[in-house]
Amino acid sequence: MTINLTRLRWPLILGLATFLVVPDSCVRAQEIQPDSLSHGADSVLFEKKLEEELAKELYGGSDTTRSQEAIPTQPQGSPSTLGGILNPRISAIGVFMGSVTEKGAASNVYDAGLSEAELAFQAYVDPYSKADFFVAFHRERQDPFFGPEIEDGSESGYHPELEEAYLTLLTLPYGLQVKAGQFRLAFGRINTFHLHALNYVDYPRMYVNYLGGEGLADRGIGVSWLVPNPLDFYQELSLGVTSGRVESPSFGVGTNSVMFSVHLKNFFDLSDNSTLEVGFSALHGSNDPHNHKTLIGAADITYKWKPLEENLYKSFEWTTEILVSRRNSFVESVTSAAWYSFMRYQLSRRWFVAARYDYSEFPYDDTRNEQAYSLIANFFATEFQKLEVQVQHGVPSGRREFNRVLLRVVFVIGAHGAHNY
Amino acid sequence: MIGKGVFTIVLSLLGFIGPRPLPAHPEAAKKLLVVTSLQDLAAIAREIGGKYIEVFSIAKGYQDPHFVDPKPSFMVKLQRADMFIQAGLGLEIGWVPPLLDGARNPNILPGSRGYVDASKNVPLLQVPTGDPATLRARGDIHPYGNPHYWLDPLRGKIIADNIFEGLARLLPGNKETLQRNLARFKKTIDAKVARWVKMMAPYKGKSVVAFHNSWPYFEQRFGIKVVAFIEPKPGIPPTPKHLVKVIRIMKERRVKVIIISPYFSRKSAELLASKTGASVIELAPSVGAFPEIQTYTDLFDYNLSRLVKAFHGN
Repeated sequence: MTINLTRLRWPLILGLATFLVVPDSCVRAQEIQPDSLSHGADSVLFEKKLEEELAKELYGGSDTTRSQEAIPTQPQGSPSTLGGILNPRISAIGVFMGSVTEKGAASNVYDAGLSEAELAFQAYVDPYSKADFFVAFHRERQDPFFGPEIEDGSESGYHPELEEAYLTLLTLPYGLQVKAGQFRLAFGRINTFHLHALNYVDYPRMYVNYLGGEGLADRGIGVSWLVPNPLDFYQELSLGVTSGRVESPSFGVGTNSVMFSVHLKNFFDLSDNSTLEVGFSALHGSNDPHNHKTLIGAADITYKWKPLEENLYKSFEWTTEILVSRRNSFVESVTSAAWYSFMRYQLSRRWFVAARYDYSEFPYDDTRNEQAYSLIANFFATEFQKLEVQVQHGVPSGRREFNRVLLRVVFVIGAHGAHNY
Repeated sequence: MIGKGVFTIVLSLLGFIGPRPLPAHPEAAKKLLVVTSLQDLAAIAREIGGKYIEVFSIAKGYQDPHFVDPKPSFMVKLQRADMFIQAGLGLEIGWVPPLLDGARNPNILPGSRGYVDASKNVPLLQVPTGDPATLRARGDIHPYGNPHYWLDPLRGKIIADNIFEGLARLLPGNKETLQRNLARFKKTIDAKVARWVKMMAPYKGKSVVAFHNSWPYFEQRFGIKVVAFIEPKPGIPPTPKHLVKVIRIMKERRVKVIIISPYFSRKSAELLASKTGASVIELAPSVGAFPEIQTYTDLFDYNLSRLVKAFHGN
C-alpha cells in the first residue's frame, strides 16, 4: 500500500484552519466593562484593572531598574525538619510481564518476569511551577514481529532510564503553559501515556515501527496553548522543539538538527455521558547525519461513553489513529502509513474486554506491512493493581504468522496517581 | 443530539462558525464564576454568594465522587473560574490535580486567593492511625480522615465559614452582604438541626447496613449506627463470603434497613434484603443525587424522611 502525501494534507489543513480562525477577542472573559466598576461584585475586575495600572507604573516605559519579582527568597524555618512533610508525591510502579509465543516466532517460547519498575516524583516547585520525574528500570523484551534471530536481551538485566523529567510553568498568561526538560512528546492519542497506563499489553505496531518500542520522548521545550474559541470547547495546541537526537525508527541519533512536534487536541462533550476527542499531530526531524528529513502526520479520534450515575460499572471506548510518514534519504523518498483501531467495553465493576487491530508499514519500506489482531481482558483488582491478558495473532512481514499470549500485572504503591482522561 | 454535536464540531474545525456574541445581559458577565468539585459545596456557596456568583459543580450528586473523569472540558470551565472549592482530604485526588494543572488559571491553584479547601477546621473522624504504609491493606483509606464530612449539617456550617472567607477575599466590597447570608444560612441550619435531631430521637442507636463507609458524620449527628458495610473494605466490591458475614450481623442485631447510594449496584443489597427481610433505601450522598434535592437542607430533609419511613415501616 502506498499512500501519497496529499492524503496527509487534509488533517494538517483542518488543524491549521481551526488554529488560524480563532479570533483574539476570545479573551473577552477578562475584558473590563467600565460602567460596571462601581458595583461591588466587580471588585475582582476592578482589581485586575488596578493591577494593570500599577504594572504600568512599576515596569512601564523608561524605568529600566525593574527587578525580577520572582526571585526566590531564602526559605523560612529549618528545612531539615520539614524533610518528611515536604516530600513530593512519590509512587513506585511495578510491571510484571509474561508471554507464551508460538514456537519458532521468538527466541523464547516462554518469557516472564518483572519487565519494568518505575519511580515517580511529583510536586509543586513554587507558586509558579511544578515538576515531574519518572525514572524507570526496564528489561528488554523479545518482539516476535522482529523474528527469533533477535535476542531478547533479557539476560542483560535492567537498564535505568530517565523516562521523563520536566518543569511545567503553570502561571503564564493567555492560557499558555511551558514544559522544559525531558518529556514524552505530544503526538497522537497515546504517546504521552506511559505504557503501563494503557489498557493493552503491547504497544500498537504503528507506534513500535514509527516512534519506537516505548514511544517518543526527547529533551527540549514544549509550549501548549489552550486556544480560546467561540464554541467554548477544549482545544489545545502543543508545540515542541526538542533535540532531535533521539533513537527511534523514524529519526536518527547522529543528527544535528532539532525536532519539531505539533499536536492539536480537540475535545467535545457530546452529552453528560459521552465525549469525543479529535487530534491532529505532526513530527519533523532528521533521520540521518546528512540531515535527510522525515515528516510524520497523524490523526486520532476517540469516542468514550460512560453513564455518570453508573460510572463504576459501565463504559465503552473506541480509539483509532492513523499515521502517514514521508522519509527522505539519498536514494529515494518513502511514503508509508500505519493505523490501528481499539475498542473496549466494560462488563462489570472490575472486568473489561477489548479488541485491537493493527496495520503498519515501515518508515523505510512501503511495500511491506505487518498486521496484528488482539483480544484483551483487563481485571482491575483495585485502582492500584490490574491484571491483563492479551491473545494476539501476528502477521509479520515475510515471516510465518504466529499466535501469542501476553500477561501483565501492573501494581502501584505510594501517592494516589491521578488518571488521565 | 449527537448528530448536531458532530455537525457543529465539523463546522468549527473548518472555521465556519464565527465568534459568539457577548452575553446580552451585562449582569451575567459580572458574576464571579465559582467552580466546585461537589454539588454540596456548590449549594452552600450559592447560599453565601447569592446574586454575586454563578456556580458550577464538576461532579454531579449522583456520581461517585471518588471516580470522576477529569474531562478536558472541565479545564475550560476552570480556566475562567474566579474561585475553586474542593472537599479536600484526598477525596478528589484522582481527578482534581490534572484539572487544576490543565486549567492554566493561577488564581485558583492551591495557595491562591481563589482556592478554597472546604475541609479547613472541620473536626475529622476516622483519621487512620498506625503505619501509613499499611493503609492500603485496609482498602482505599483516606490518609487524612473520612472525607464525607458534608453529611453532617453542623460541619456544613464550617464549610460555609470557609466559603465565606474565600468569597470575602474576592468581594471585599460585599463582605457585609456575604456575612448576612452566612448568618442566615447558619441560623437556618441550627433551626433545622434541632428539628432533625428531634425527628430522629426515637430511632437513636438503630442499626443499619451501608454499602460504603460514607456515613460516619451523618451517624454521629443523627444517632443511627452503621453496623456493617456491603463492601468488605472501602473500594472493594462485595464477595459472597463477606455477604454471609453481613447477613449474620444483620440477624444478630436485627438490622432492618440497608442504605445505599444511587451510584452503587443494588444487586448485593437486594440479595441481603431478600435473605434478611430488611428493606433497601437509596439515600442521597450529595445534593443533586435526586432531582428533588436542590439545596443543602433538602439533602437532610430527603435522607431523614426516607430513614424515618423505613424505620417506621419495620
